[in-house]
Amino acid sequence: MTLARSADSRLVGNRVLLTLLIAAVASSVLLPFASLSPNRLSSGQPMMLWQALPEWQLTALALIGLALLAATLARPLPRRTSLWLSLIATLSLLGLDFFALGEYAHRALVDASPAARVSQGATFWILLFVSALIAIDALQRLRLGLVKRALFGAAVLAVIGACFSGDLLSPLSIMREFANQKANFVDQLIRHLMLVAGALIPALAIGLPLGLLVNRRDGLRNGLFSMLNVFQTLPSIAVFGLLIAPLSALGRAVPWLGDLGVSGIGVAPAIIALVLYSLLPIVRNTYSGLAGVSAGTLEAARGMGMTPRQILWQVEIPLALPVILSGLRIVTVQAIGLVVVAALIGAGGFGAFIFQGLGQYAIDLVLLGAIPTIVLAVIADFALQILVTLSRPPGTR
Amino acid sequence: MIELQGLTKTYAGKNVVDDVSLTLDTGEFGVLIGPSGCGKSTTLKMINRLVPLSGGRIILNGDDVTELPAEQLRRRIGYAIQSTGLFPHWSVAQNIATVPQLLKWPKSRIDDRVDELMAMFHLDPTEFRHKYPHQLSGGQAQRVGVARALAADPEVLLMDEPFGAVDPLTREVLQAEMRRVHRQTGKTIVFVTHDMDEALQLATRIALLNGGKLVQYDRPIELMVKPDNDFVREFIGQADLGLKLLSRRWVHQYQREPSFEHHATLKGLDHCWQLDDAGRPIALEGARLDDDHQVTEVKPEWTATPEMSMKEALSRMVWYRVMVLPVVDDAGKLIAEIGMQGIMGIEAESGLSAGNPAS
Amino acid sequence: MSGTTQGLGRLRAASAGNGVLGVLIVLLVGLTLGMGQLEPLFRALFPDLGNPLYSRDSFLNLMLAHIGLVLMSSLISVTIGVAAGLFVTRPVGREFEPMVSSLAAIGQTFPPAAVLAIAVPLAGFGFAPTIIALSLYGLLPVIQNTIAGLGTVPHTTLEAARGNGMSRWQILRRVELPLAMRVIIAGIRVSVIINIGTATIGSTVGAKSLGTPLIAGLVGNNLAYVIQGALLVGLLAIVTDLLFERLERRYSFGS
Repeated sequence: MTLARSADSRLVGNRVLLTLLIAAVASSVLLPFASLSPNRLSSGQPMMLWQALPEWQLTALALIGLALLAATLARPLPRRTSLWLSLIATLSLLGLDFFALGEYAHRALVDASPAARVSQGATFWILLFVSALIAIDALQRLRLGLVKRALFGAAVLAVIGACFSGDLLSPLSIMREFANQKANFVDQLIRHLMLVAGALIPALAIGLPLGLLVNRRDGLRNGLFSMLNVFQTLPSIAVFGLLIAPLSALGRAVPWLGDLGVSGIGVAPAIIALVLYSLLPIVRNTYSGLAGVSAGTLEAARGMGMTPRQILWQVEIPLALPVILSGLRIVTVQAIGLVVVAALIGAGGFGAFIFQGLGQYAIDLVLLGAIPTIVLAVIADFALQILVTLSRPPGTR
Repeated sequence: MIELQGLTKTYAGKNVVDDVSLTLDTGEFGVLIGPSGCGKSTTLKMINRLVPLSGGRIILNGDDVTELPAEQLRRRIGYAIQSTGLFPHWSVAQNIATVPQLLKWPKSRIDDRVDELMAMFHLDPTEFRHKYPHQLSGGQAQRVGVARALAADPEVLLMDEPFGAVDPLTREVLQAEMRRVHRQTGKTIVFVTHDMDEALQLATRIALLNGGKLVQYDRPIELMVKPDNDFVREFIGQADLGLKLLSRRWVHQYQREPSFEHHATLKGLDHCWQLDDAGRPIALEGARLDDDHQVTEVKPEWTATPEMSMKEALSRMVWYRVMVLPVVDDAGKLIAEIGMQGIMGIEAESGLSAGNPAS
Repeated sequence: MSGTTQGLGRLRAASAGNGVLGVLIVLLVGLTLGMGQLEPLFRALFPDLGNPLYSRDSFLNLMLAHIGLVLMSSLISVTIGVAAGLFVTRPVGREFEPMVSSLAAIGQTFPPAAVLAIAVPLAGFGFAPTIIALSLYGLLPVIQNTIAGLGTVPHTTLEAARGNGMSRWQILRRVELPLAMRVIIAGIRVSVIINIGTATIGSTVGAKSLGTPLIAGLVGNNLAYVIQGALLVGLLAIVTDLLFERLERRYSFGS
């Protein structure tokens, strides 16, 4: 009885949302929304939200804030209504965040020199981040089905896509950097993906049978796992570096290997190191996926008269698949990140932008490398997570 | 028919199964029982060669099992274990169809067989066909496990403590069902358990093992009344022997025509049944120790079925304080009655001699 | 990635004896102090290089700077991470648990190098962005494992502690934390190992570390520098990992 009453008299129904809202308001007051700089390399003059945005946008922002505030309260709105309200509000916040930045850039650059640049500021990022967190929180609390979540995801993508499709954002410094580098950007994207694929395919080809072998022969397990584990602890850049000398020697000593592109720097050491890094999660997950098939299931399979091959393909692999794919998920995300570092030994990919930008003190170039890498990693993670879910036996998803 | 001849299994120089010989005729329900580590499971698993033999021979319907390819042999033998043995990634129908699929039966024949088996185990196909093992209760999973073992109409059914992981109430239901299925199919069954009550419920032959050796192999009743040695006596337990005997007796052996009119001559047993339009009993007049003329409403808790053990029937009479129970069929229709004096009368005439021609 | 360390800790316990760790520590200290003595070796290996030994800074300084970076950021990560993990597993903060957990999970998909790069526009070049990136990134495995570790404490154990009249604080300090410690340490281990690697790349944003000779070697095409930096940072990572493994083992109560 006391419990029910205390729940009824509670003012705030969603403290997570309230915390996020306070963070957003605080950053809006304290941190700049954008910055205006005279040229590409110099640091800019900070513009606060109320300096950058016209009145109607500020009003809209305030309305979104009020809607979110209403959604934090325990009453009068019912719980699910509040959550849906916060979802809609956060979608508007996302759109407004992008729109306001682009629109400000257009206005600010009208009578500025051609070299002048507008960049996004901390508040822009924080509002973006807060929108994402509000959406995650609301989606978790609503416990929506896969289809409804996918629909919301599509709505988010539609809003972001709409912002990027026209030339709303094109005056932004980073978009101008992108326009300059467009051809190069696509090249590096492809190169990044090729490096990831080039590492994952051999890693799977070696790792899956190795995992099966380790599952069948207990004696090999400890040695192999400790070897691969030591390798995982080594910093990637150190491994890339240590591979240069032997590979360049190999490339010189065996001319046809050299012709194939095996040399100290570039793709060869990158791929070799990435394969080695990828082996542990693949072998380990293959092993534990197979080991996770219960002894009773295996005994029943044998007792029913299945051959070892039938047991492997019809029972063990289907049951181990979610765990194996989780390993692939870890490895893919890891490889996308490691390829960034491989740019330091000349393998290319988005890391090339990052390190080139760091070298030239060109922040936009750094972001042009860093942001797509993160987006790529998150997309890969999400896609493989869906694959893992789909691979679970039906009914247990 | 299964013959074990001098069957031996050696692990690390120790005989875990030591020179076990016995013959189980076609249609018998044989139970291997003994304390843990006695070799009962190992013995069972040697029959379908999940465990290789160290010595001796196993003859299955005239064939030496070691001379058949292991997989082919296993497809001739049904195998049911604790519910973990269901394939978690396959639906109920797919699980049941495992062996027919391995034997490459045509699809329509498999479908028919699955339906037939699901009906036999009272699993409604529309409801259960597409369910997955994790969506089943322990009892349902176990029924699927046994149905799967029977799917390809095997010559023999091996069961390794199949009801070990279910709760006592479900276990009793499953045991009753197992008896019914055995009666319906006439299969030769080898069943491993460590629970003497379960063995007495099910077996037509019990093999008691200890330390890898066969201690006694006999009909259940003889095991009770003529134990070969102290180990057997101790394992069966001296307490409740009378009740244990009753647990080997079935209502259908003792039921009689139901009474529909009063017989004032029978003190305490003067009673009659009231039926509804469908022939289901709704009330009992009389037959109460406390009040001869009381009308008692019939409740499912104190009705009996032909498959019920006399021990259970007696238990219900005592608990609900009635001298007779209605015996109903699947539809709940009254087909007979079973009374207190029936239980006593049978014991007086001594059913013991039936299984004991020597005395 | 925390699974790596958790699952394999015990497997490796057998193979990695005291001897290996001892040898590696001696090697690490010896190379840090005495890399200069190896100059003839590097000169022989790389006859084309005019200057085969990195000499712009002493390796001891670089090692201390590297350890300093990692230590400082790990201190921040562990303090905030454990506190956050504790907060969201208490009744007060439980509401935040799903949000914090998914944040930690999503955050770990971000490549460390990209996080480091993004810290530059926020904090400029040098020590600060490296510390920020390292602390932020290192936070995630610590939070995740603190939550997971506290979650592994059996319900019955907690009930027994309550039943014996322990206060909430006593339960946390004497039951929950000791039982969760192994998993929490595994999280710290992952965090520290990643940070040792990321601190190496920190030299590209201007923080002094063992990556400094490594990157200088890559840029200036001096393989000797690369090997000197890579050897030391690799040894540092392995030694640290092995030390953490022993620490973890001290907290495994038969599980």
